[in-house]
Amino acid sequence: MSGTLSRRKFLVASAAVTAGSLAAPWIARAEANEITALLITGGPLYPKYWEKIVQDFTAKTGIKVRYDLLEFTPLTSKVVTLSAAKSSQYDVYSTHTAQIDSYFNHFAPLNSYFSDTELADFYPVAVKYLRDPKSGNLAAIPRNMDSRVQYYRSDIYQEKGLKPAETWEDLVDVGLRLTGNGHYGLVVPGQGDPAQRTFSDLLWQAGGDWVDQANKPAFNSEAGIKALTFYRDLIQKHKIVPPDAVGYQWNENSTEFSSGTVYANFDWPGAFATLSNPETSRVVGKWSTAPYIRDKAAISCAISHAMALNGQSGRTEPAVEFIKYTVGPEAQRLQFDQFTNFPSSQAIAKEVIAAAKGPQATWLQQLETTIANGKEWPKLAGFSKVCTLMFSAIEQALTDQVSPSDSLNQAATEAEEIMRRAGAYD
Amino acid sequence: MPPVAQHQVTGRRRRSPLPYTWQRGYLLATPALLVMVAILIYPLGYSFIMSFFRWDLSGSAPFAGVGNYTDELFGRQFNQALRNQTIFSVISITVEVVAGMAIALLVNGKLRGMRLARTLLLVPPMIAPAVVGLNFRWLFNTQYGLVDALLRMFNLPNIPWLNHPTWALVSVIVADVWQNTPLMVLLFLAGLQSLPQEPLEAATVDGATPWQRFWHIVLPLMRPVIMIALMLRIIDTFRTFDVVWLMTQGGPGGATNLLTVYAYLLAFQAVDFGHAAAVSYIALGMSLFVLGLLYGIPWLIAKRRAI
Repeated sequence: MSGTLSRRKFLVASAAVTAGSLAAPWIARAEANEITALLITGGPLYPKYWEKIVQDFTAKTGIKVRYDLLEFTPLTSKVVTLSAAKSSQYDVYSTHTAQIDSYFNHFAPLNSYFSDTELADFYPVAVKYLRDPKSGNLAAIPRNMDSRVQYYRSDIYQEKGLKPAETWEDLVDVGLRLTGNGHYGLVVPGQGDPAQRTFSDLLWQAGGDWVDQANKPAFNSEAGIKALTFYRDLIQKHKIVPPDAVGYQWNENSTEFSSGTVYANFDWPGAFATLSNPETSRVVGKWSTAPYIRDKAAISCAISHAMALNGQSGRTEPAVEFIKYTVGPEAQRLQFDQFTNFPSSQAIAKEVIAAAKGPQATWLQQLETTIANGKEWPKLAGFSKVCTLMFSAIEQALTDQVSPSDSLNQAATEAEEIMRRAGAYD
Repeated sequence: MPPVAQHQVTGRRRRSPLPYTWQRGYLLATPALLVMVAILIYPLGYSFIMSFFRWDLSGSAPFAGVGNYTDELFGRQFNQALRNQTIFSVISITVEVVAGMAIALLVNGKLRGMRLARTLLLVPPMIAPAVVGLNFRWLFNTQYGLVDALLRMFNLPNIPWLNHPTWALVSVIVADVWQNTPLMVLLFLAGLQSLPQEPLEAATVDGATPWQRFWHIVLPLMRPVIMIALMLRIIDTFRTFDVVWLMTQGGPGGATNLLTVYAYLLAFQAVDFGHAAAVSYIALGMSLFVLGLLYGIPWLIAKRRAI
């Protein structure tokens, strides 16, 4: 056999490779009883959790699930890209209340797959903000609740004779007494979506809201300016927060508390498990939880991780079956056991609260209260872009580049124009 | 040509269905051209068209004319990004070119340890920008960072590197300069080593000082290399993303938002592809304009002199 490659052989081989590449997506297509899913991960326990969920689901239904795992931010970017491309690569997506309004036209409505009784079991606040306010379509179904409570260093507080803050004033007082020698009384995030979440909580607590009755921006009201001024002063005036916090998001926040540098933090349900684990926390056994702070009102965000059906999916029935399984009792119990994720089902939440003891029971009750009083920003057309605008407006005020009132007034003018262009007032 | 080879060529020609013509050349190049069109021209064209539509995920994508462009050109966030981009590009390119030339002149000499220095210069450009961004994020951390720890050691005040708008921009410029100056050094070093020695020797004989030799002989001879270096860096600074994203994500308060970061935020956080595409094309237009000036002005001067 000759060792040389003739031109003819080369062209034939090239044609074969090209044909193979073009055919690959069809060859790799899922079988009839197989669905694909793009699922959220975060931390070492998540892959095992999904593996078990998928195995159990396949054992019960015979439907195979091929899935990919991504962390929250890359997952969001990928879902945006796939939705823009009208891709049917995945039948099921992990999603979240925060960006749901962007996908109202891309996720298939789930209304018809859940009975009213089934929907009534989920926390109303979660279901409300996963619906398209125009069409009433349910874009996703909540998998677990995301709300925050106060985590504080019970050992240090006891040593100094302090109680966890209940009001805004308490927060400053306690923070001032704890700050010094490289330690800070509090940590708050100062960048991006986490900064907007924090401002949002303070806005509601001060008696304000994002929009008025006519859906026009109202976050620059007196309450909004008070909220942003208070938020900025925690960092710039009282200096009870690490100075780098203006660049912090959730992970940095949690790390500052779990490393022992900071003595109080407002964190998500997952923090309970992280702070209890010696591999991820230096403060095991030295912390406790308390309700979120309040001003005129005791309101903070109540949002949820959720599951959605790709509108382009050609395997709707098995995909919906999988979605139902992931929000069903077994999956919700398992995710609470594994990550202390708060169930989105009220029945399961009651069950885990009843079974909990000691500090965990107290914490779960605090979380349930937060969820009961919780809110979310509006899901109006164009509000995703308003959020990007708000990131910048809040950050500029927090870093003292612009006053809170100027920053919010300017953002409100631009936000109204963005929402008008997006059809929020049509 | 040996007779056997001649026979083989003749034989192949007879079997081939196509004559050796220019059409055949194009035919054979077609697969490569198709790949180019698919992965380069099509996305560029598609995103250009996208920039004239209100393109988000809302389902409808009405035609907006130049609306996306005017929205951005008169918008506060775009203008902040444009200002940051200008400062970032001008300062980092100036520092990189000046420092690059200075270091190149130094390592071009026959001093001890220069071989090692030249090898070490290869390290920063070899590191992925994302890694550079992460490293500098930690170096500049006020609480745990090495830089502020050193300042504290010498009883100097801490600098809020990443949490003050001005210092944050300085920080990303420092990271960019650290990574890209060695590339300039390597380019200039290659240029310096290929310079003709005669004019330099003649100038030395005539009593020219080192500065005069550099200013009147080396610099004019190095002009083509400097132009290439400037061109590469202008293109690069308008594409900078990873380092800034990893260090500051464009913050605090948009103080380090470059055009690429702003376009990314528009596309993936605001889910507004139309405006994101418009910003990308404005950035492309600006870098082409600057490159045009860079090549056009010397050309015009030369033309006027010739007249």
